[in-house]
Amino acid sequence: MTIRRRLIPYWLLAPGALWLLVFFVIPMGFMAEQALQSGSLFTGGFHFTWQWSNFPDSLSGNNEQIVRSFYYAGTATVLALLISYPLAYAIAQQSGRWRLLLLFAVIAPFFTTYLIRTIAWKTILYDSGPVVGVFKTLHLIPQDGRLLATSTAVIAGLTYNFLPFMILPIYASIERLDMRLIEAAKDLYASSTQAFLRVTLPMTAPGIVAGVLLTFIPAFGDYVNATILGGTHQAMIGNKIQSLFLVERDYPEAAALSFLMMAVILVMVLVYLRLAGTEAFMGEEEEARA
Amino acid sequence: MSNGSERTLTNRWRWLVAAAAAAIAAVTFTACGSSGGNGGSEAPVAKGGKPTGEVTISNWPGYIDPGPNGTVAEFEKASGLDVNYIEDINDNLQFFGKLQPLLASGNSGGRSLFVVTDWLAKQMFDLGYLERLNHADLKTVFDNITPALRDDPADPGRQFSIPWQGGLTGIWVITSGPGNEIHSMRDLFDPKYKGKVELLTEMRDTVPLVMQMQGADPKNFTKEDWEKAIEFLKKETDSGQIRRYTGNEYTEDLTAGNIVAALGWSGDRSLIGRKDVEWRSPTEGCDTFFDQMVIPVGAPNTAAAYAFMNFVYRPEVQADIADYVNYVTPVAGVKPILEKKDPAVAHNPLVFPPPSLLAPCSADPNPPGSPDEQQKVTEEFQNVITG
Repeated sequence: MTIRRRLIPYWLLAPGALWLLVFFVIPMGFMAEQALQSGSLFTGGFHFTWQWSNFPDSLSGNNEQIVRSFYYAGTATVLALLISYPLAYAIAQQSGRWRLLLLFAVIAPFFTTYLIRTIAWKTILYDSGPVVGVFKTLHLIPQDGRLLATSTAVIAGLTYNFLPFMILPIYASIERLDMRLIEAAKDLYASSTQAFLRVTLPMTAPGIVAGVLLTFIPAFGDYVNATILGGTHQAMIGNKIQSLFLVERDYPEAAALSFLMMAVILVMVLVYLRLAGTEAFMGEEEEARA
Repeated sequence: MSNGSERTLTNRWRWLVAAAAAAIAAVTFTACGSSGGNGGSEAPVAKGGKPTGEVTISNWPGYIDPGPNGTVAEFEKASGLDVNYIEDINDNLQFFGKLQPLLASGNSGGRSLFVVTDWLAKQMFDLGYLERLNHADLKTVFDNITPALRDDPADPGRQFSIPWQGGLTGIWVITSGPGNEIHSMRDLFDPKYKGKVELLTEMRDTVPLVMQMQGADPKNFTKEDWEKAIEFLKKETDSGQIRRYTGNEYTEDLTAGNIVAALGWSGDRSLIGRKDVEWRSPTEGCDTFFDQMVIPVGAPNTAAAYAFMNFVYRPEVQADIADYVNYVTPVAGVKPILEKKDPAVAHNPLVFPPPSLLAPCSADPNPPGSPDEQQKVTEEFQNVITG
């Protein structure tokens, strides 16, 4: 093998690496620098002083919002998974034209901007509207209850907004599933449940893992749903960071908090991948074929 | 495939996935910011002259008469300018927070003129973010401005700000519902309206009204008064009494009937999609404010900004704006025009407030102390509203 041939994979990586450098590494550098500044906007601006105390300071008083972010993003991810798996399975079972139409239906809302879609939920869920009426009739909420400006509305908004990120990867992995393997399992006297648990689920695990990551991470940092659908006790950590940056103008603390949240997410992802098994990501299908 | 290379491949995958996850997290969390700024006295004077080309103006929503015969369209026709009028201001501090890093580097984000409340205009000028105004280029403005507004305690001699519209902060109620019984700040906190009232995210509107309710002297709010009021708000927020803190969006919740009353601005009727609403001055006293047109540093086409200021100070143009927005107009000579055109507005006490309405009101105050001490108060208030 010549050296040039060995270099080819690296050349192929170059555009992606450049992208990461310009839009990830460099901004991260700026943010790291900002997280270690001290001072204030009105008294001479901020200066770099290795202010490590910004990190613990940024956490104090924000525990509630952090816990809430885990709770909201976690619940939304689980709900999205429960909705997406059967849906993706059903879509993958359809023949060509129906499949396309259903996939289009999944993506169609994305032709409208995120913000407008979220604001639309305000109109759907308003206090004297039909949805709240049905909930009251079914005694799911008390007679003087409401959906807007509650945790329920924020979690519903998160689930709705990130649902396609769950459906599409799961669909992709189910669609690749070789149905003959399920037939084979049944030939070997597996019940439907066993075939699902032993064959379908492990083979579609890569889609689930990808979907969970793609849903949980943006949901965790989201602040739009809490702003629009939440009330006074639904603020997530994203809202706190927004307030620190835009209203309190405490840039160092805001940068430090953003950094810590990123680190938390990164650690969680690594732990998750370890637990889920990296094979889940590579796809056992490939290994089985090899 | 040997076992060894499979292991490395697995590892590589793991790191790629981790890097991708980190990238998503970074995009989610990264915001930007910068620092700096120096005093306003050395700020450059905005250049006048004959305006041509394009101009971008930022204002609050519903703050001008819209449509093909609206003021912006008329200004385009009269001046030959191409006007990009955007309504992207919903809260003073958030707007400033968004723009501050740009302004600090002498860039206005393409805007030639924007409208902020008097106290923020002063703060921005002190930071060197606003250009000074040349009165020779503002002839129509100074010919027509209400004499009482010729000078401003926050801007003596009108160095950097020209009034856009003024107003009062008080209580909007839905008169056909239980909110009709609300007349005072104290009433808003009655437990029977739990979860049915909203306050403003603007600290300088919400907190002073609460301080007045608690009996503090509006001419001299002390640090203790601010702290006591914020503590009270925290209690009321934690109990669920307050549904949300909002900018202009309180008008949506009133329209939908999600609430019975909200703190709000006297001229917002045009933003509320129902007739059975009424603005009331709280019995404990109200707030007044004047929003100001300013020219930011680095503004392109400042000649066009001057032209716009002069245009809206023509009484017949201002009459259209006053007729639509129903705020307090800063231009003299508008009332006689409206007497003919729209007598209801000419006799609307919220557009031409009589002294009896203004007497119990005081201007939006800043918290006492140094900028850093003020920032501390802001932080405490933010902690309440992002509970």
